[in-house]
Amino acid sequence: MVTREDVENIALLSKLFVPEEELDGLTKSMQEIIDFADAINNAPASAEGFDNINNLSNVFREDEVVPSYPVAEILKNAPEQAEDHFLVRNRE
Amino acid sequence: MGLIQTIHEKLVSRELSCTELTKAYLEQIDSANPALNAYVCVTGEEALAAAAAVDKKLAAGEELGLLEGVPMALKDNMSTKGVLTTCCSKILTGYKPIYDATVWELLKAQNAVMLGKTNMDEFAMGSSCENSCYGGAMNPFDVNHVSGGSSGGAASAVGGNLAAYGLGSDTGGSIRQPASFCGAVGLKPTYGAVSRYGLIAYASSLDQIGPITKTVEDAAVVFDAISKPDPRDSTCLGAKGGATAQQLGSDIKGMKVGIAREYLDGVRDDVKQAVLNAAKTYEALGAQIVYFDLPVLKFALPVYYIIACAEASSNLGRYDGIRYGYKTARYNGTHDMICRTRSEGFGEEVKRRILLGTYVLSAGYYDAYYKKATDLRGTIIKAFNDAFAHCDVILAPTVPMTAFEKGHAASDPIETYLTDICTVPVNIAGLPAVSVPCGFNQKGMPIGMQLIGKSFDEATILNAAYHYQQAAPENFTDTKWGVKL
Repeated sequence: MVTREDVENIALLSKLFVPEEELDGLTKSMQEIIDFADAINNAPASAEGFDNINNLSNVFREDEVVPSYPVAEILKNAPEQAEDHFLVRNRE
Repeated sequence: MGLIQTIHEKLVSRELSCTELTKAYLEQIDSANPALNAYVCVTGEEALAAAAAVDKKLAAGEELGLLEGVPMALKDNMSTKGVLTTCCSKILTGYKPIYDATVWELLKAQNAVMLGKTNMDEFAMGSSCENSCYGGAMNPFDVNHVSGGSSGGAASAVGGNLAAYGLGSDTGGSIRQPASFCGAVGLKPTYGAVSRYGLIAYASSLDQIGPITKTVEDAAVVFDAISKPDPRDSTCLGAKGGATAQQLGSDIKGMKVGIAREYLDGVRDDVKQAVLNAAKTYEALGAQIVYFDLPVLKFALPVYYIIACAEASSNLGRYDGIRYGYKTARYNGTHDMICRTRSEGFGEEVKRRILLGTYVLSAGYYDAYYKKATDLRGTIIKAFNDAFAHCDVILAPTVPMTAFEKGHAASDPIETYLTDICTVPVNIAGLPAVSVPCGFNQKGMPIGMQLIGKSFDEATILNAAYHYQQAAPENFTDTKWGVKL
């Protein structure tokens, strides 16, 4: 059962605001999707398990130093920047 | 002969210069894009510069590679250095990557001519392309119908002859479904055959880049060009079976074509009939049809949505208004800024999937949903492996229906999710599948079927698709739009 409180809590974890007037509708649609997802609980218990698609295992390589992207290039996409850093103001 | 080969021969014989060809495509985009909305960004200047370089090579008498000078398009979720890349989301407004995706690096090195970036559902989440912040791409067979999604723009551009080929990405059907709707060929490669470096992530364990093309030959040529190992994507091994284009036409007598009965459940009659007709064509070509059951398929759709949304909720955590893209105008404190930025920047479907993903990963629900879904993923993989002990390829519908009319998808999320029922199992299992046109409904809208193969066995499904294309050319028809060669 998905409740309004669940949706509020999940929205907080997701860093999303849900306007009060959308909360009921969203709760209902989340409930419908979760009901749909609940179908998997009718599936037989599986012994297969899953790690990754091609059974890759982690490997280590030499730590090779390669050139980084220039700071100025990276900052071109930032909404705000100052002194070679991303700028985050406390309020606007 | 494939379109890429046709263009190559025209360039080499000097019947057409690359500049003339590129200009023709740009002019057609200019006139058709207001109706089709296939492109969200046209890079005319860069395209003409690339074309001029190819003409210079031709003038110098140098040899040309097959993909050199061939005008193409990239889905808007593939990073292109200095060229707007937005995933068709407001939250990536103005974003210009500082590096190229590996697939584009590989094609650029072969002097491909990029015409622009193509429309898509926001962050590749959708089945109609209508979740794009630019409005959806329309179907070249009838502009009142959707192009499909999420790579709708690429399929619309290829079906509408506004690019010789396009690259799409397929997380749960996003290459095959729009290809099916727009009468094109769409290949979703094996997970790990093509690098995802520079592909803006939706669900990393499912995403894969592949070609949308006019013909099977074109799909093979493009796949061969982009399926290389890449140290920047640790899951990318490259193709394993050698060049697929050279294996087209090899004998399919005795090939076992499997049909899982579950794939035909709930599929509309016209689609089912077209797929069964294709099975008859294969029989006539000397293949053997093998029916079998794949009961675990009924869990594929919920498994897919749980895994995809869980991964999306994590991948999309990076959009915070600090490093790139959209940022809210007014806020009070960092938390408030991030929440406002995300709430204003993401569309409705993206928010729904982030919330759902966060739900299935949160304490108390993780075991019941995410863990259970990943366990079932193992079961689905095993079921496919068992099936391939009895057949060489699996034949199935690509989508249970043909392209729907615009505005139809928005009403009910579950109903929209159901359109993905035939495409998602392949992503869950990491297998390759190619969608090819196999008929038309009464309204003349294309029907697609998919051929699913064993892991890294693109060569076999493309060869099977090629034989079908040769035997049923009437299903590979053209539209009124675009460049005619």
